[in-house]
Amino acid sequence: MSLAPRSPESGSERTPRGSPQDKRANDVQDPFPGDRRFSGELQSRLGGGLAFKLALFILTSTAVIYLVAFLYSYVTLRKEILADVKKDALGVTMVTLGKIDNVLGGIEKVAAFLARDLSGEGRTAAVMIRQMEGLLQANPEIFGVAVAFEPRAFDGRSRYYAPYIHRGPEGLKRILIGGAEYDYFTKDWYQIPRELDRSLWSEPYVHEGEGGDLVATFSVPFYRTAAGERGLAGIVRVDVSLDWLQDIVSRLMPQRQGYSFLISRNGVFVTHPRKEFIMRESVFSLADATQDEELRRIGRHMVWAGKDFVPLTGSAFGRDSWMFYAPLPSIGWSIGLVFPEAELFGNIFELNRVILMIGGVGFLVLLIVIVVISGTITRPLRTLTEKAAEIARGNLDVALPEIRSRDEVGELSRSFENMKGALKEYISNLAETTAAKERIESELKIARAIQMSFLPKKFPPFPERREMDIYATLIPAREVGGDLYDFFLLDGDHLFFSIGDVSGKGVPAALFMAVTKTLMKGMADRDLAPSALLEAVNGELCRENETSMFVTIFCGVLDLKSGRLSCTAAGHPAPLLIRAGKDPEPLVIGQGFLLGALEGVTYRTTEIVLAPGDNLLLYTDGVTEAQNGNREFYGEARLRRVAAVHAAGGTASLVDAVVADVRSFAGDAPQYDDITLLSVVYQGADGDSRRRDR
Amino acid sequence: MDVKMRKENGVTVVSPVGRIDTVTAPEFEKVLTGLIGEGETRLVLDLQAVDYISSAGLRCILAAAKMLKPKNGALAFAALQGPVKEVISISGFASLFKIFDTPEEACRQV
Repeated sequence: MSLAPRSPESGSERTPRGSPQDKRANDVQDPFPGDRRFSGELQSRLGGGLAFKLALFILTSTAVIYLVAFLYSYVTLRKEILADVKKDALGVTMVTLGKIDNVLGGIEKVAAFLARDLSGEGRTAAVMIRQMEGLLQANPEIFGVAVAFEPRAFDGRSRYYAPYIHRGPEGLKRILIGGAEYDYFTKDWYQIPRELDRSLWSEPYVHEGEGGDLVATFSVPFYRTAAGERGLAGIVRVDVSLDWLQDIVSRLMPQRQGYSFLISRNGVFVTHPRKEFIMRESVFSLADATQDEELRRIGRHMVWAGKDFVPLTGSAFGRDSWMFYAPLPSIGWSIGLVFPEAELFGNIFELNRVILMIGGVGFLVLLIVIVVISGTITRPLRTLTEKAAEIARGNLDVALPEIRSRDEVGELSRSFENMKGALKEYISNLAETTAAKERIESELKIARAIQMSFLPKKFPPFPERREMDIYATLIPAREVGGDLYDFFLLDGDHLFFSIGDVSGKGVPAALFMAVTKTLMKGMADRDLAPSALLEAVNGELCRENETSMFVTIFCGVLDLKSGRLSCTAAGHPAPLLIRAGKDPEPLVIGQGFLLGALEGVTYRTTEIVLAPGDNLLLYTDGVTEAQNGNREFYGEARLRRVAAVHAAGGTASLVDAVVADVRSFAGDAPQYDDITLLSVVYQGADGDSRRRDR
Repeated sequence: MDVKMRKENGVTVVSPVGRIDTVTAPEFEKVLTGLIGEGETRLVLDLQAVDYISSAGLRCILAAAKMLKPKNGALAFAALQGPVKEVISISGFASLFKIFDTPEEACRQV
C-alpha cells in the first residue's frame, strides 16, 4: 500500500499515462526530492566511509605498533651487535696486544740486560761484540744492535765509539757508526734517553739501508761509576724491524671487511692497509684534511693511551664505521680496528628489509580483510538504507533483504523488518481511520448541502406583500440534525409556512427532510386543511419507511385578507404566540402523533385569528434543549422572556435576539441539534400595522 | 445502560435508568426487540428513572410499537416526569398509547 498517492516516482501508484490524474501527479512536486541524492551520497559515504575509516584507523594503529616494535628491535639489535663486536674486538685485540707486548717486552728486557751488563767493569770490546752477536742471534725481531759510548767513555780517548752489528743478506755485519758524518750524540735515539735518563722507544722510521723497512729503536742508557760517581756511559740501541708487527696487526681481522692499523705516539700511521699512509700521514693530518673535529679528538684520546669503541662519522676512515682502539702500553703506540657499519649490520639490514616487506604484505592483507569485513557490514547497511529510502517514499511493500547473521547487523535488519511491519499496520489503521473520518466529514458536508439547498434563504421573501413579514434562520449543528422550515404562497391570499425536525442525524436525516418538505409542498393546496395535508404526507412517508425515522411538523395556512390561521402540529412543540402588546403564550393546539411513524394516524386542525401586529414564533427543540456547560437546558421560560422583550422589534430582530440569547446561554458547550426559528408577523390586509417599525 | 425488567401478571415492566439518547438507544432497542421476539406482547415502559429521552429513544419505542402491531400487542407508559413527560406528550404518543402514573396501574390496564 502506498503512503504518498501523488508522488510520480512511487511505483505503487498505477495511473494510466496521460490520464487527468497522471497529469495532476506530474504537476505536484515530488514530496521527497532530496531523497535520491541523499541516498546516493549516503551510499558512497557508507561504502567509502566505513571501510575507509576502519582501514585508516586499524592500519594506522597497526603501523604504529609495528613501527614501535620494529624500531625497538632494531635499536636493541644494533646495541647487541655493537656490544658483541666490541667484545669480540676487545678479545682479539687484547690477545694480539699481549703478543706484541710480549715481543716488545722481550726486546726491552734483552736491551736492558745488555745495558746492565755493560755497566760492569772490565768489558773488552771483543766480549762486548760477542754479547751483541749473541743477542742478535737469539732475537730474530732485532735486526741491529749498537752500543754507543759517551765521548772517551770506552777507551778514554776516542770521541765516538759505537759498534753496530746488524743482519745482512750473508750474515751479521759489523760496522762502526759515529764520526763527523754521523754525530750520533745529536740523534734522537741517543740524545733523548740521555736527557730523560731513561730508556724509551723511538718513533718509527724508514730505515735508509736495505729494503726501506719500517723500523723502531729502543734505547737504553747504561752507566759506569767512576771516581765514586755514577755517570752515563753510553746508550744501547736496539733496532727492531716492524714487519712482524705489521703482519700481526694486519692479520687481526681476516674474516671481516674492516681493517686494522697502528699509530705511533705522535699519531703517525705505523701500519695501514693503504701503504701510502704509512709514515706519511697521521690521524691528525687526516682529520685536518677532512675537517673532522671528532677524529682529532679520537686521535688525541688514542695517543693518550685511551681505549674505546666509537662511531666514525667522517669520511677519513670510511663513512658509517665503528672503531675500536686500545693502547700498546710498552711502546706507547695505539691500535685501531675499523668495522664498516654495512658489514656489521649487514645482516640486520637484510632482516629489516624482510621484516618491512612482511609488514607491507601484511598491511595489504589487512587492508583487504578490512575492506571485505566492512563490506559485510556496509553492504547490508547500504541495502537497508536504500530500502529505508524506499519506505520513506511511501513504498511499504518493499522486500527487505534476508540477513541471517546473528550479529548486530542481522539484529538491525530484523528490527527494521519489525518496524516496517508495525509502520505498515499503523499506516493502514491510520488510513482507515482517516478515510472513515473523511467519509463522515464528506457525508456531513453533503447533508448540510442538501439541507441548505432546500431552505428558502431570501429575506424578505415577498417584499411587495405588505400583509405579512417573515424571517427565519437555521443554524445547523455539526452533525446535521435534519431541521427544516418552509414557506410559500398557496395563491395570492394564502401563505403556507411550516417548521419541522427530523429524527436522526446526517445524510439520512437531511434526505428525509427533503422528502418531507417536497411532499408537503407538492400536496399543499388552498382547499386542503393542514391536518388533511399531514395525513396525506404521513401516508406517503410511512409507505416506504423501513428505518422508523419520523419527523415532527408544525404547519399552518394564513389567510392574508382575514388573518385567519389554520394550523396543525404533529409531535412538534407549539409555537409562541405574541399578541401585539401582550406577553408571549404558547399557542393552544392539540398534538398529533409524529409524522411518518405509523400509518393511519389522524390529525386535527386548529383555527385562530391573528390581529395585525401579532407575532407567531415557531421553533424546534434545538432551541429549548440547548445545553450549557452544566448540562442545564435553555428551556421554554427563557425563550418566552426573550420573546417578550424583542417581539416588538420585528421578525428579524426577534429571531436574532433569540439566537444570541441561546448562544450566550450555551457558552462553550457544543451545539448538539439544529437551532431553527421562524417568525411570522401579520400586518393586516393592507399591510398597515401600527406596530410596524420598518 | 441499565435496564431493569420484571414480570407481573403476564405483563413485562421495562425500567430503563438514565438517558436514552443516540449513545444508549441502540442498547435499549435491542432489549425491547429481544423481549418482543421472545413472545412478550404486553409491555409497560416505566420511565421514572429516565431523565432525558431524545428522538433516538423515541425511534426505539416506535420500532417496538411497529413490531407489536401485527402481534396485536400493547404498549403503555408509566411514571413519566419532567422533560421526558413533555417530550412524550408533545410527540403525540398520548393519542396512540396510554399513559399511567404508576407501573402497577399500567399493568392492570394494559
